[in-house]
Amino acid sequence: MSPTLRALCVIGSAITFWLIIRRVKKASVRIDDCIFWIVFSFALLVIAVFPDIPAFLAHLFGFMATSNFVFLVVITILLMREFTNTLKISKLNSRLDELIEEQALQAKENEQDER
Amino acid sequence: MRILAIIPAYNEQDCLEQTIRSLESTCPGIDYLIVNDGSTDDTKQICERNGFSHVNLPVNSGLSVGFQTGMKYADRHGYDAAVQFDADGQHLPEYIIPMGHALEEQQADIVIASRTLAGEAPKGARGTGSRIIAALIRLTSGVRLSDPTSGMRMYSRRMIGEFARGYDLTPEPDTVALLARRGCKVIEVPARMQERQGGESYFDFTHVIAYMSRVCFSILLFQWFR
Repeated sequence: MSPTLRALCVIGSAITFWLIIRRVKKASVRIDDCIFWIVFSFALLVIAVFPDIPAFLAHLFGFMATSNFVFLVVITILLMREFTNTLKISKLNSRLDELIEEQALQAKENEQDER
Repeated sequence: MRILAIIPAYNEQDCLEQTIRSLESTCPGIDYLIVNDGSTDDTKQICERNGFSHVNLPVNSGLSVGFQTGMKYADRHGYDAAVQFDADGQHLPEYIIPMGHALEEQQADIVIASRTLAGEAPKGARGTGSRIIAALIRLTSGVRLSDPTSGMRMYSRRMIGEFARGYDLTPEPDTVALLARRGCKVIEVPARMQERQGGESYFDFTHVIAYMSRVCFSILLFQWFR
């Protein structure tokens, strides 16, 4: 890993950390939903500080350059995250629709009961 | 036979009153339910002022949610059939009773009001879209539909339960294809329709693309896994 890439990893890690902590302070994200980003930020820091770890793994899996390995891992992790987010949003939408429908029907029932 | 007309309405202040008046005078024996889909205009006030039967969705949620709300209502109040009916005056109430008869006599699950059978096939881009969808449905489920994009459809009691409890069933042609493939009987009756009598259509360019891609993907791919 080049010194530039290592520096970028540190910067990326710091920015990620700062962004997420700021949101926690502002009470606009739940702790449960932050864990991923804190771990992600920490992992970036680890590979920047100890480049031997990704280098070893890259060599083990037969990558020509450590940076290729790092990119692939980061992309894969983010794609997986995106996939689970899609599932989560879909589920939330279904639940929301369900609530909207029930609330609307319930309101009508209540109104009829009052009459 | 108790029939419920489900009338989803989103910002339909211009034509809703006229639509309901004509429905009431043409089919006095038919119940209806307006589903006000979080309208930002006077749709809600019009319903309240005139004492129209209606429910209000707390936020705008789209046609599927509005329609499912109506189906849940029909299910819980024991209706024998439910018909999808537009608030904008496109659909003519005089066809509701004949659709009900067709449903009963032919023991069908879904009755579609077909403009094509009445000699007024949709033209232009709409016509092309409609023919593509018809071809896809014939290819995948073997059912021949002359007007799959007609929004005026009547559903049997069994279908009401299906829609009320089902997952992700839109009141669109892809669902008709899915249900047909599962063995539901889909028939068509001839029916004329009018131009919308006021207000604005949901169907701008982005909606058309979204609609066509959903319907096509759903018929060609997803229905085999549902």
